[in-house]
Amino acid sequence: MTKHFQRSALDRRQLLKGLGAASLLPLIGGVTPFTIGSQHAGQVVVVGGGFGGATAARYLKRANPAIEVILIEPAEIFYTGPFSNLHLAGLRSMDAISQGYDALQDRHGVRVIHARVEDVDAAAHTVRLSTGRELDYDRLILSPGIDIRWNALEGYDEEAADKAPHAWKAGAQTELLRSQLLGMEDGGSFVLVAPANPFRCPSAPYERASLVANFLTQYKPKSKVLILDAKDSFSKQALFMEGWEQLYGDRIEWVGLSGDGRVTRVDADRLEVETESGIVHQADVLNVIPPQKAGSIAERAGVTDDSGWVPVKPETFESQQVEDVFVIGDAAIADPMPKSGFCASAQAKVVAAAIAASLESRPAPEAYWTSASYSLVGPAYGISEAGVYRIQDGNIAEVEGAGGLSPLDAPEATRALEAEYAVGWYNAICQDTWGTQP
Amino acid sequence: MKRILHMAASALLGALPLSGVALQCLAEDTFSSEQTALMAGSCANCHGTDGRLVGSVPTIAGRPAAVLEARLLAFKRDEVGDATIMDRIAKGFTDAELAALASHFSAIDPQADDATDTEQEPQE
Repeated sequence: MTKHFQRSALDRRQLLKGLGAASLLPLIGGVTPFTIGSQHAGQVVVVGGGFGGATAARYLKRANPAIEVILIEPAEIFYTGPFSNLHLAGLRSMDAISQGYDALQDRHGVRVIHARVEDVDAAAHTVRLSTGRELDYDRLILSPGIDIRWNALEGYDEEAADKAPHAWKAGAQTELLRSQLLGMEDGGSFVLVAPANPFRCPSAPYERASLVANFLTQYKPKSKVLILDAKDSFSKQALFMEGWEQLYGDRIEWVGLSGDGRVTRVDADRLEVETESGIVHQADVLNVIPPQKAGSIAERAGVTDDSGWVPVKPETFESQQVEDVFVIGDAAIADPMPKSGFCASAQAKVVAAAIAASLESRPAPEAYWTSASYSLVGPAYGISEAGVYRIQDGNIAEVEGAGGLSPLDAPEATRALEAEYAVGWYNAICQDTWGTQP
Repeated sequence: MKRILHMAASALLGALPLSGVALQCLAEDTFSSEQTALMAGSCANCHGTDGRLVGSVPTIAGRPAAVLEARLLAFKRDEVGDATIMDRIAKGFTDAELAALASHFSAIDPQADDATDTEQEPQE
């Protein structure tokens, strides 16, 4: 690697004029010309092109355009977890939950490489890509999202997910679950297995149950939704339950941990699940949201702890275990912030500012994070939870008196307005993350 | 007493045409631009980059600082009748921080292009 290979912008422009970019490339193609044309302010490699990684890449360039920012993401099309439940319910196309990387690359100065990161060498400050290529970094940001803990729930392995989809990473799994729902006989039972905390997007299983119920009400009105839950309470519980009763009557049944809701075994071939006390529930469509952990590259980079998640320094989200490696989004332990796209984005902005400052040997600005989590109980029935977070006594803490839930017993107009704002939020965060126009 | 004094000061400022300028000076004295930009970062998640997005969520870029500040303070004090989420968020910030945010967004051109001003490199 020739990280410090540099040429002045003027030289480069003259060269380009004389030769044309295409003929110039073979001359320098072998030496990774990432730093040509800019004052070298440091190279940051960002792994993962979701809400955390893409936002971090974009906001690093905003903080200092002279920083070389390389975003590594295997997929050319990213399907967002948020609003994938709308696709399940037939209310949004896959296209309308897809994002690309052209704007980041063409308009925002981020270099995007579609590859997988195979390994991190923290001592050498390099990452190795699936293409065999090695990249140097001054700072590394990992935003790898989640991976499934296969077999942590008995019987639930990768093969089982082809029959009983998790649909917890949007894309092919979302489409599979949608097709199963479409094919289900009226009078069937949609069984959703919900995990214990922590997991990606704490309110999403319950939004999913809601929107599936919405679909069933319209198209398969004799069918039911059964949620078997490994915990006794869940995100926005009272609001969801109020909404379920209003919109769906008794179509959705929720069974918590103490009601024998914890599933201990999955038989994907027979679409059966068994609970702690040995009761077997038969599903017609079985959606297993299994236990999760930080995306696997975090483990390879040596930043995870025994929990499978990543402890970080609260002020900067730098790994507690490996210097110059920053971890954001679902993979990081950031309690009391939830694991959500919104929080990944908020963390990305704090990390971008901290890294831009540290590359210039300035102290990081004080961290602020805000969270707004919208859920749709129905297409015109939105609820939300907000939080404002700061550092208190060295830890991330919720600002007292701020944040909290939408009120119970709110008028229909408030729910409709929050559903509208949910769509506004989705458009805004996608625009802010990938630089695309809604 | 402090609160009453503050309300009186707000009322006074609100009545003055110079209030926007005065607030901006106060904000600049209190927070660095980098600090304010970071504080404003999460706003983009609903209002778009730099608060410029036009949609169901109101655009905040380029609105007068005094208007934005009054609105934020009203959210914080539960004085907005049809508030949904901003009342819960505004309570997480001090009055001085809300003033700095108001001044930050008022200074943004709502029509500006959001591309980072960087020289483009040859494609991979």
